Amino acid sequence: MKHTASWILWLVLSLTLTLTTRNPFYLSFQILSLLLLGVYIAKQKHHAFWLSQNIRFLLTMLVISSLVNALFTHTGSTTLINLPDHWILVGGSITLESLIYGQINGLIIGAIFVAFNIINLALSIRQLTHLIPGALRPIAMTVTITLTFLPSIQQRAQEIKEAQLIRGNQMKKIRDWLPLLLPLLISSLENAISLSESMTSRGFETQSTGKITRLTLVSLILATFIIFSAWVLSLFDYPGFIILPLYAIGGGLVAVTFISASRKLRTTHFKKETWSKKDALSSGIFITTIIGTIILHQLGMLPTFYYSPYPGLSLPGLSLSGFLVISVLLFPMLVGKNDSI
Amino acid sequence: MKIRLLGFLVNIFVLFLGMASLLAPFIFPSARGAVAQTSTFPIMVGLIVVLCVLIILFEAQSAILETKMIALLGVLIAINAGIRFLENAIPGPAGFSPTFFLIILIGYFFGSRVGFLFGALTMLVSGLLTGGVGPWLPGQLITAGWVGQSAALLGLITRKLNLKNKISEVVLLAAFGALWGFLYGLIMNLWFWPFLAASSDQIFSQSLSVFENFQRYSAYYVATSLVWDLTRAIGNVLMIVFLANPVIKVLHRFHRRFSFTRLKADEA
Amino acid sequence: MNNINLEITPASLTLVTGSSGSGKSTLLKCINGLVPHFSGGSISGEIEVFNHDPIEEGPKGLVKTVSYVFQEPESQFVYDIVEDEIAFSLENFGISRDEMVKRIDLVLNKMGLSDIKGKKISHLSGGEKQKVAIASALVNQPRVLILDEPTSQLDPFTADALLNYIIFLKSKMDLTVLISEHRLERLLPYSDVIIHLTPQGEIISGPTQSVLHEMEQVPPIIKIARMLNVDPYPLTPKEFPNSHEMAYNEKSKATFDLIPSLQTPVLECRNVSTSINGKPILKRINFRLAKGEILVVHGPNGSGKTTLSRTLVGLQSSEGQIFLHGQDTKLLGTEDMVKEIGYLPQNPGDLLFAETVLDEIKITMNNHQLKYHEADLIEFLAQFGLNEKLTEYPRDLSVGERQRTALAAITVHRPNIIILDEPTRGMDYQNKSSLSKILTLWRDEGRSICLITHDVEFGAMLADRVLLLEEGEISFDGLPNIAYTKFPRYRTQTSLIFPNQNWITPGDISQIS
Repeated sequence: MKHTASWILWLVLSLTLTLTTRNPFYLSFQILSLLLLGVYIAKQKHHAFWLSQNIRFLLTMLVISSLVNALFTHTGSTTLINLPDHWILVGGSITLESLIYGQINGLIIGAIFVAFNIINLALSIRQLTHLIPGALRPIAMTVTITLTFLPSIQQRAQEIKEAQLIRGNQMKKIRDWLPLLLPLLISSLENAISLSESMTSRGFETQSTGKITRLTLVSLILATFIIFSAWVLSLFDYPGFIILPLYAIGGGLVAVTFISASRKLRTTHFKKETWSKKDALSSGIFITTIIGTIILHQLGMLPTFYYSPYPGLSLPGLSLSGFLVISVLLFPMLVGKNDSI
Repeated sequence: MKIRLLGFLVNIFVLFLGMASLLAPFIFPSARGAVAQTSTFPIMVGLIVVLCVLIILFEAQSAILETKMIALLGVLIAINAGIRFLENAIPGPAGFSPTFFLIILIGYFFGSRVGFLFGALTMLVSGLLTGGVGPWLPGQLITAGWVGQSAALLGLITRKLNLKNKISEVVLLAAFGALWGFLYGLIMNLWFWPFLAASSDQIFSQSLSVFENFQRYSAYYVATSLVWDLTRAIGNVLMIVFLANPVIKVLHRFHRRFSFTRLKADEA
Repeated sequence: MNNINLEITPASLTLVTGSSGSGKSTLLKCINGLVPHFSGGSISGEIEVFNHDPIEEGPKGLVKTVSYVFQEPESQFVYDIVEDEIAFSLENFGISRDEMVKRIDLVLNKMGLSDIKGKKISHLSGGEKQKVAIASALVNQPRVLILDEPTSQLDPFTADALLNYIIFLKSKMDLTVLISEHRLERLLPYSDVIIHLTPQGEIISGPTQSVLHEMEQVPPIIKIARMLNVDPYPLTPKEFPNSHEMAYNEKSKATFDLIPSLQTPVLECRNVSTSINGKPILKRINFRLAKGEILVVHGPNGSGKTTLSRTLVGLQSSEGQIFLHGQDTKLLGTEDMVKEIGYLPQNPGDLLFAETVLDEIKITMNNHQLKYHEADLIEFLAQFGLNEKLTEYPRDLSVGERQRTALAAITVHRPNIIILDEPTRGMDYQNKSSLSKILTLWRDEGRSICLITHDVEFGAMLADRVLLLEEGEISFDGLPNIAYTKFPRYRTQTSLIFPNQNWITPGDISQIS
């Protein structure tokens, strides 16, 4: 599996699962699955420290989130210690429940972060750059140029630094940035001029196609406002049959706007990703799982996904189907054997 | 002029929407919010902020339709993103980053659209390079974009008050840099904090007032990022004081070459 | 630039020459409309390129007729992968993907680049990069190819190979080629027309032989032909009638019997080895640099020349010992080393950042915490011909002046040892000769100069001693007249014309035969 779209769907699935459950066992299982998948990809990509970096992050997150929650929230029935009441904010009882609740928060944050880290690992920088919509061609081009120039700028910076060192600059004070920054800036600006000449004489221009019409802007603003409103309504607990259609309308409007804005482009692309059977298969499975999870969650048919330690601690319920749904996240390992990305 | 007005309105709208999303815990204290909402919160804020960023990008894109501006911006971003990875170029304390210095200066010099693009795209490229693509990225994009955008406002002020090439110009810039050193951390934390502190359904309940929410946030902010932001603010000030003038001079010299008068073939 | 009248026939090769800053690029950019549409300025008159009018239509209208390759390949790439870069112009034309793939394959095959099409451009060598730039220009199947100093960033071997390659492409693809170039000797035999821009702003154009007769700065081979009154000028050493019996010019450099006093070297390497990322670069190097000599170091790319210079100034850690005035440099701090050694990097622009030329010099003095009188500095700048440019912005100077400013900036604190890394890259004859005057002056003052260069003609002009590097080892350390005659790779034009003599520069040949 290496198509960008398949991986984006995978990410949506992972986020959907993380955000629909607050069951610490499910969350832990999801994180373990993600770590497993991450190690698998990291090995293919020869990324040595992936696991240790992520585990370090996860542990920090767990500690911070449980501490913060325990110190700030004083509800819950099992009191561990009592802090003096006159201490601002943290004064009061520190309860086991709030500690656990904080830990669940930490797990959610952790799962989100690790999922994104897997995306960062699985997709190349170029693949990620291609996610910039076609209607934003000047901007996509800017990013492309940046990525192309970065290696030479780093090398140039190193050379300038050395040249200035031998000229007797000690490179210790903030002012010593100047001998580095200015030559780098100047030579890069000179580069920019010849680069734009080269682009112009190879037929690049955005004057006629890059202009954004007022209609595009207005419809995008409208779409954003609709989505924002739907979200605010959901904060006030309005029912799903009001909110979900609003989300759909907003999302649809965004899509239509982008597609019609990209239509104007005359340019073609040399780099095209090809769909393999594996990509198609996994994408199908991910979409089905995402939609299934959302529907079942809305209908309240995933009882074991809900959990709250308040007011008194209880053991969360578990079901085999829950674990099965989460293990869909490991699907890339199943199909990805022969793919070297 | 019409386009300018539209651009202005667009930015006001986005500022309003973006801040409203980030400040939702304070603005909607009466929202009851189901338990699950607390975890979707940052993702939804991220999503809305992505849309906001896209809106401004669409609007600001009109500033870089010239091939020259695209090349200029691309190369400048490469410098800004590249310096970060230069090993021990100049030793500095943790949290000290030259990134904001250039964002402020570019916005100050080239105006609000280029300023926004420069700030936002610098963060985007850094995110791509460091494997830092995630729900936190949109917040970084828009905030860094705002840094560049607001710097253009400062540029307008110094032009109006005729402060260019005076000491007060640098003083203003330095104060601006210090302000954003803190403000950046403050805004970025807004995105993250509901995760940690708004964790019980209490936070959205009526029992807590806006003021209490604010108090909690302050405590959280002081505990988690004040030191970090302080270093950033000091770093910005130092860099602006020592480096701003020479860099602006270089930009001036090149400005002439990037904006030229198109000629007609005059008959001799 | 004023009053140019030119006519170029299809499928010919036009050579555009002239000192740096004489307007070669401006002239070339008129042909595809970059001037005036991109850079501004004013233009009058008419230009016609295959029924197109660049002044009217601009670069957009000329895109499919004229392709342009710029000086530095690095600064013109948009993408990081070879085939993506080549596809760039096709993407802009909106050509379908299938057609794109076909055209790219065709160009890659013709140019012999198929093997590297998937590679990262930043991993390619300088010559390969320039080939990729040419391929991206040729993929739109233009009728005119313009190359603006395509070899200025390359070493002579690669440059020669590239020029041969361009000549090969021209005949294969039926192209009209315009090329601006400092390395005349390689292209002369193939050029149909020369456009020469004089420093005074005049333009001489016409068939190769006739323009050569009017040019002031010419390659060694033409110099020799003029000295010997051979007409028409032979354009390759082989064409030279070898009946000329020349006496050795006694007045020229006494290369034969000069053996520098190596007993008390200012700089000495003993068994110096370095490796980068575990790969050995220098292998047990031993050599000395004497007081008052110019030591020229030659060697192919990758032989360790640059590493050697970086090692000498302490930028590169090494095994073995390096002695500076008899003291082990391991015991010296960087500050002490840089006081004694001046180093001119390959790209002199790396050094310059001050507002004026004079400030640039002051910065170095301040770096070394030395006191100075401004008058002394101005006098110092006079020997670089910069005393009229004191208040100018260094970046606005010509290439040669810029380099001399950098040279002044690294030598103002009077170091006894000066190391120069590729100082003649992209320099025209005039700038080379002013550089050689400065170096000779310093040598006569008793300073030691280590000149690392690919340029054998320049080296032969100056060398007291030559060091040849080969794969990290010294393959030769001795007198110039041996180095430049006995090693095929390093033979100068003079030694090619007179294979049986020990002559290495036109100066070695007596004018009074």
